[in-house]
Amino acid sequence: MYRSAALSILVVVILSAAAYAQPARQPNPTDISGEWRLESDEDPGALGQSGQPPLGDYLGIPFNAAGRMRAETSAESIWETPEYECRPHTAPHQWRGLGGVRILKEQNPLTREVKAYHIQFMRSMDWPVYMDGRPHPPGYAPHLWNGFSTGEWSGNTLKITTTHLKDGYIRRGGPQTSDLYTQTDYLTRHGDILTIVTVTDDPVYLDEPFVQSTTYVADLNGTTVTEVCNGSSGENGGTDRHHVPHFLPGSNTAALTEWLKKEPWVPVEPTRGGVKTIYPEYKATLTGAGKPDSLTVPSSRTAVSPDKNRADQSPQDGEVHILPVQDNIYMLVADGTNVTASAGPQGVLVVNTGSAKMTEKLQAAVQQLASSLTAGKTNKCNGVDCPGTWGWASPFMNTVISSPDPPKPLRYIINTSVLPDNIGGNEKLAASGFYPRAAGLGSATGVGRTATVIAHENVLNRMSAPAGKQAPTPEKAWPTDTYFGEFYKLPEYFNGEAVIVYHEPAANTDGDSIVFFRHSEVISAGNIFSTVAYPVIDIEKGGSIQGVIDGLNHILDLAVAEYRGQGGTWVIPSHGRLSDTADVASYRNMLTMIRDRVQDSIKKGMTLEQVKASRPTVDFDGRYGSDTGSWTTSMFIEAVYNTLKEKK
Amino acid sequence: MRRIVLLAIASALLVATAAYAHHSYGANYDVTKELKLEGKLVQFVFRNPHAFVQMEAPDSDGKIQRWSIEWSGTTALGAAGITHESLRVGDEIVVVARPSRVAGEYRGLMVTLKRPVDGFTWGTREGEKVD
Repeated sequence: MYRSAALSILVVVILSAAAYAQPARQPNPTDISGEWRLESDEDPGALGQSGQPPLGDYLGIPFNAAGRMRAETSAESIWETPEYECRPHTAPHQWRGLGGVRILKEQNPLTREVKAYHIQFMRSMDWPVYMDGRPHPPGYAPHLWNGFSTGEWSGNTLKITTTHLKDGYIRRGGPQTSDLYTQTDYLTRHGDILTIVTVTDDPVYLDEPFVQSTTYVADLNGTTVTEVCNGSSGENGGTDRHHVPHFLPGSNTAALTEWLKKEPWVPVEPTRGGVKTIYPEYKATLTGAGKPDSLTVPSSRTAVSPDKNRADQSPQDGEVHILPVQDNIYMLVADGTNVTASAGPQGVLVVNTGSAKMTEKLQAAVQQLASSLTAGKTNKCNGVDCPGTWGWASPFMNTVISSPDPPKPLRYIINTSVLPDNIGGNEKLAASGFYPRAAGLGSATGVGRTATVIAHENVLNRMSAPAGKQAPTPEKAWPTDTYFGEFYKLPEYFNGEAVIVYHEPAANTDGDSIVFFRHSEVISAGNIFSTVAYPVIDIEKGGSIQGVIDGLNHILDLAVAEYRGQGGTWVIPSHGRLSDTADVASYRNMLTMIRDRVQDSIKKGMTLEQVKASRPTVDFDGRYGSDTGSWTTSMFIEAVYNTLKEKK
Repeated sequence: MRRIVLLAIASALLVATAAYAHHSYGANYDVTKELKLEGKLVQFVFRNPHAFVQMEAPDSDGKIQRWSIEWSGTTALGAAGITHESLRVGDEIVVVARPSRVAGEYRGLMVTLKRPVDGFTWGTREGEKVD
């Protein structure tokens, strides 16, 4: 009996040892999928339904001067303008919005590895968090409301790293973010409790990352509904569809501290935010022991470089990067300058030709696109009934046994302005193109032996000179077809769609155009729009701040978001990342705010130097400004001031 | 640890303000002021999270403007017996609203709404408040 029991125990021990001897399996991460109910948060007023913090409450936000200025001049109703009213909550606030959250797992059906988590809120897009190790996109890729997220497990905590975010708000009621911030979320499950710690790192508006925590509870009977956006026309009232709500600096000061009348025990200074006010050392200054200015706090600085982020959006690396946009359209980033290309069965059309030094590489990229249109494809059909059969049993036989058709030619060049980045490659690219027009091949005159170059006639006026005078550019670089009205339509479809060139008067110059590809739903915005710099306003060539704003408003009138203020019509800026309506609205809003500030200063009789000293762009300089280079913040302010002064 | 301490201090300050801040519309509207508008309803947007009444009425200079008045959500309005058919385009209405904080913005937060032709009112009874 004892022997038998001893043997049994031995067998069990051996079997157990054998099991342990197998290769160790990765422990399964905690299952965070399911429905979760928002339990608590730390925002005053945001707990419960439809609450908002009071205007001017920046407690706990490590604002810098730019962030504070932006918060104090931003009206909450900016988020209810037509371009924004259907947006989701922006990332720093999303976890605190109403309606709970649903977390889904996307699994490989064979290995059952989690490829991605999908996080959904009542008012959100689907937010995928990729777990498969894929890299984040390049800097010139679009920014989204949810950004682009990757995740990794660290013990019991899922760390989500998000880049490519649109500008938004940290907290409702004023505190804003730039679009250069990154967000890191840490999700930890303890039983039925899910804790989310959110770190918002905005180098433009914050002196150090802003940390929030939010708690959810498993909700077995819950379901995260979708809030359908029934956008109404004109939530902000009035009939001006381009209305940009904002406050002039100093005009809303009393309102910012209105809430303190009911909470007089709260000192004013920490309600203005600032990194020093959120550390324990600050407490001593409230009783008069020391002054805030002399405080030293162990601030953890931002890990995000705004300069690098801007550089990544517009890489000046001497290369051409090709980004497919939508249907026929591609964005070619040529040493930091964007060229738009339409490539299809009728050939290639480019909007602008980049700087002269990039011409050869741009030509190579155009050739690459053109070749891709005629490259062979894998046989997907066998037999005489296959479409396109002309005698072979399969049309793909031609591809297999012979070389493909020659690349389609470059047929059109459209110049959106006379600025060097727009026309630098005209001469060589036009010469490489071909479009039979005017007398067929035009063998006698050379007409039709080049691509057609289209621009507003003021572009040609500035590139050419009357007979006998020296022209600033070679004749072979000049536009061959100009227009003078409000718009110019290519006389026939190109690559299966209408292409319309609109004149934007007195914008960067007097000859600016934007180009609308009507079926692909892409607008090439030219110099009117940039995501990395203030617009270059060349007053000598007829430019003005109002013309740029009008041009941006025109883009917003033409463009339509696909869903929740995102995607849909894509807009290619002269420099910077691929954008959509919300990004154009953000740029338009910034310029409108600066225009109104400078205009107000002019009304008060301030000189140019006084206006510059008042720093009317301080909340946007970290995003778009520059103290060096060919277009500085000082030059921009001067151009705004002078065009408004002239108007007056 | 330092971060936890500072969060705790910040939380203490925040919690103290929560009572006042709860359900505040102070960011959008000047809740200390009222604006009276008399005019014609041009659109009634009965939807969540908030319904909107749009009306044409004169501004302080007597010029007719298109005003957008933010109202409660459909659940709260429904509890007060209001449906999407309660108001019709062309109705002559009198609205008292909190004005927008943005100068020149024709927007308000509903306080009371009256339709003199049939005595329809909202905002005068207990609980009829946008929150």
